[in-house]
Amino acid sequence: MHIPDGFLDLWICAVMYLISAMVIGYSAKKLKDKLDAPQVSLIGIVGAGIFAAQMLNWPIPGGTSAHFVGGAIAGILLGPYAGCLSMVSVLTIQCLVFGDGGITALGANIFNMAIVDVFVGYGIFKALRRYNQDVSLFLAGWIGIWLGALAAGVEIGVSSIFAYGLMTTVLVMGIWHGALGFIEGIITMLAVRYVLIKQPDFVPLPKEVRG
Amino acid sequence: MGMEVKEGLRKWRKVLIVISVMILVSPFFAWAAEVVGYAEPLENVAEHLGAMEHEYAIISGLIPDYTIPGANPYASAIVAGIVGCLIVLGLGLIMGKVLQRK
Repeated sequence: MHIPDGFLDLWICAVMYLISAMVIGYSAKKLKDKLDAPQVSLIGIVGAGIFAAQMLNWPIPGGTSAHFVGGAIAGILLGPYAGCLSMVSVLTIQCLVFGDGGITALGANIFNMAIVDVFVGYGIFKALRRYNQDVSLFLAGWIGIWLGALAAGVEIGVSSIFAYGLMTTVLVMGIWHGALGFIEGIITMLAVRYVLIKQPDFVPLPKEVRG
Repeated sequence: MGMEVKEGLRKWRKVLIVISVMILVSPFFAWAAEVVGYAEPLENVAEHLGAMEHEYAIISGLIPDYTIPGANPYASAIVAGIVGCLIVLGLGLIMGKVLQRK
């Protein structure tokens, strides 16, 4: 889902950079002077885990597949603001050190995976956890990545290189990532459960920055 | 690195082990992805609409596509995993420090 250089029209690159910069700035402002000592290392640890998990491409027969993205996990474990910053660090390193995702498309990739996936995933978890925690985790992972993929579909679909094929790009991204998102949902559920069970001393971020 | 950061990392020992395991199995996933002909929906729709030929990389990075140029791709994957995780961890620790309650 990492959009490379050359896919997006310049204006859409600029718009996505602007929106992403505003959300990153707002998130940093919400977090400033809010983290206590036990929480300082959380952003990096969650980011490193997501980076490693993103390297594992799912080998699905037929070949059309994806890999774990993890925005929802970041949002749920860290809250949306720190989760967003954690994902931004992952995506930026992937772009600059590994050439995964273009520098011109970084604003769009951040929007899709560090903003939509994180905030939607967090919102779904928060709204539904009182009914059933496992189901809320699954839906957070699934719908978070699905909407992120739809956003990517819109961004490429309004670009000239894709012949303005908005219907096609949204359909392909929506249908495939809607199906593949099941796996994201299951991993999200298992991973958050693992952290909550295996890290009984897990100190979540302060309430005021968890949204 | 402050004591509290070391303490924070120690508490997350089990998660750090899981991360190490993911890095160690990454060559297997790289191999399996090749076997099945891994392609993401984004690449498929780009192919379909003739956009693929417009793809390029302004910055290919130190380890382009998680492969050290000239080195064994599977060993590269492990090095890429270690390098990437350490940088992300470091960047996160710096962010945490900057945002820490004064």
